[in-house]
Amino acid sequence: MASYSLATLWFERQRYLPGVLAVAFSALLIALQCGLLLGLFSITSIPIDHTHADVWMGAPKVLSVDLGRPIPESTLARMGVQPEIERCEPYLQGFAFWAKPGGGNELCMVIGSQLSPDSLGKIDKLTPQQCGLLAEEGTVIIDESDVKRLGVKGIGSTAEISGHAVRVVGTTRGLPSLAGPYVLCSIPTARKRLPIQQGQTTTYVLGRCRNATQAEHVVERLHQNYSDVSAFTTGEFSRRTQLHWLLKTKAGIALGYAAALGLLVGAVVTSQTLYAATVASLREYAVLRALGIPRWRMALMVVSQSFWIGIIGIALAVPAGYSLAWAADRMMGVHIVSLPWWLQTSAAVVTLVMALLSGLFALRSLRQIEPATLLR
Amino acid sequence: MIDDMPSVPSLQAVRLSRSFGQGETKSTVLHDVSLKLYSGQITLLMGPSGSGKSTLLAILSGLLHPDAGRVVALGQDLWSMSDRERERFRLRHCGFIFQGYNLFNALTARQQLEMVARWGEGASTGEARRRADEILMLLGMAKKAHLRPTELSGGEKQRVAIGRALIKDPNFCFADEPTSALDWKAGEQVVELLRSAAHDRGATVLIVAHDARIIEHVDRVIHMEDGQLIDHDDDYEPMLHKIKQEG
Repeated sequence: MASYSLATLWFERQRYLPGVLAVAFSALLIALQCGLLLGLFSITSIPIDHTHADVWMGAPKVLSVDLGRPIPESTLARMGVQPEIERCEPYLQGFAFWAKPGGGNELCMVIGSQLSPDSLGKIDKLTPQQCGLLAEEGTVIIDESDVKRLGVKGIGSTAEISGHAVRVVGTTRGLPSLAGPYVLCSIPTARKRLPIQQGQTTTYVLGRCRNATQAEHVVERLHQNYSDVSAFTTGEFSRRTQLHWLLKTKAGIALGYAAALGLLVGAVVTSQTLYAATVASLREYAVLRALGIPRWRMALMVVSQSFWIGIIGIALAVPAGYSLAWAADRMMGVHIVSLPWWLQTSAAVVTLVMALLSGLFALRSLRQIEPATLLR
Repeated sequence: MIDDMPSVPSLQAVRLSRSFGQGETKSTVLHDVSLKLYSGQITLLMGPSGSGKSTLLAILSGLLHPDAGRVVALGQDLWSMSDRERERFRLRHCGFIFQGYNLFNALTARQQLEMVARWGEGASTGEARRRADEILMLLGMAKKAHLRPTELSGGEKQRVAIGRALIKDPNFCFADEPTSALDWKAGEQVVELLRSAAHDRGATVLIVAHDARIIEHVDRVIHMEDGQLIDHDDDYEPMLHKIKQEG
């Protein structure tokens, strides 16, 4: 069966090309849309993914890392007494207004963490030298991609956050932002510039386990013992943050709509291609019917063709997807399209199912087979 | 050879009628046609266009339902079978050759034959290939087994179509104008192949054609006009069979 289908696809490749391209287009569209969204929303969880904690503890029912509310700093002890925890520390994060030197404001995300080499909340893009510079109160580090957005010229520039002066002492690379540029600093610098973090409070308590696999036990116990805080493992909090942004911005709906449209276009073109190809061979199929060959054999041939159209289309789409993702990343200067293997596999499976359904839909052409019409 | 001649027809049509359309546009194409065909014989059904010969062929071969009458093939009433049973009957016993060759453009001559063996009887790839090569050798097409229809002449294409019909080793072989698109040299070869299917393989071969040059290659000729057989002996039995009876 496969040999006849493939021989037909190859011999009549011009006829089947629109179907193959439609499948490739659908697979590419789904993978890139999802990859773009994944890459985009992975930006929201950068504070989690680029630090070294195993457990995050924050205000009750916190929806995402950027929406943390103050909790008493004394809750550090709750984390500290857990037998699996070897180290814990406070971590401040919150939105604040950055007053540009030339006028105007920009919403920024202030992140204040300990700066020692073994700090849990320190963003891993910071060099030891930069950490040393941040020890001075009022110094900050921003990402080089946000320099223009924040209205400064780079290292040495000054600005204000919540009415308090800040001086840029360094820049990072590869720390893109979505809602507001990340402003990295020490805990005292952050506390002074985050109005809701006055007094003995922290946004999160970070903990590191002796063995990272114990994080789930710690989270479970914290939930059981304390109702006024919430706790998550790193992976859990990262996913929660990304999901919140996906739903909050309705981007998921837009993406789903675009992907569905891509699928529909692919399905219609593939189905029509197969339908037309089958109709063109109706007289040949009619001879087989006259010879008593059951109709399901021909149906299987059409579905088999749709399967191979799907496989070839996907085979074209996968390298094209990686190339376009690479090009997009190069163009944007940051990793913007994320194409993990599971995403490519899911896009391939969805597209293959679409191609097979197109094949099934094209089977209506076989109803037209009437061997008696061959006798004139 | 004489002893082998059958005493009963392999295919018998009894009072077949068929019309198309309804009301004022109704036209009767077959009127009360009865006919007996015997295995090992090649029969030519001739007649002008519109005389009903293709309709008769379609009914005899189980492709078109008659309005009245019966077709008894190998002792079974073809038109009292279910569609599924009739399909199985055709699969087991019938081969067809049409005026247009109707070969799949993408497949080689060998694949056209293999497809029927594999899809029809579930033959293994090896078995289907062996049988296809055997038939193509018989048809003088062994060296062209790897070619596609676009690389074959009209006569060669028709030979592949005959091979497709014969690979099942059918009891019946129905051919509708098999030579009309060919020059006479190629046409003559095609008729000879059908004749050998009847004489060497014992098939019942029925050819519908206009071409009078075929007459000298067949065992029996039946004329048809206006939906009826002309000067037809309903009680016809093969001559050799009568000799046997008298002997």
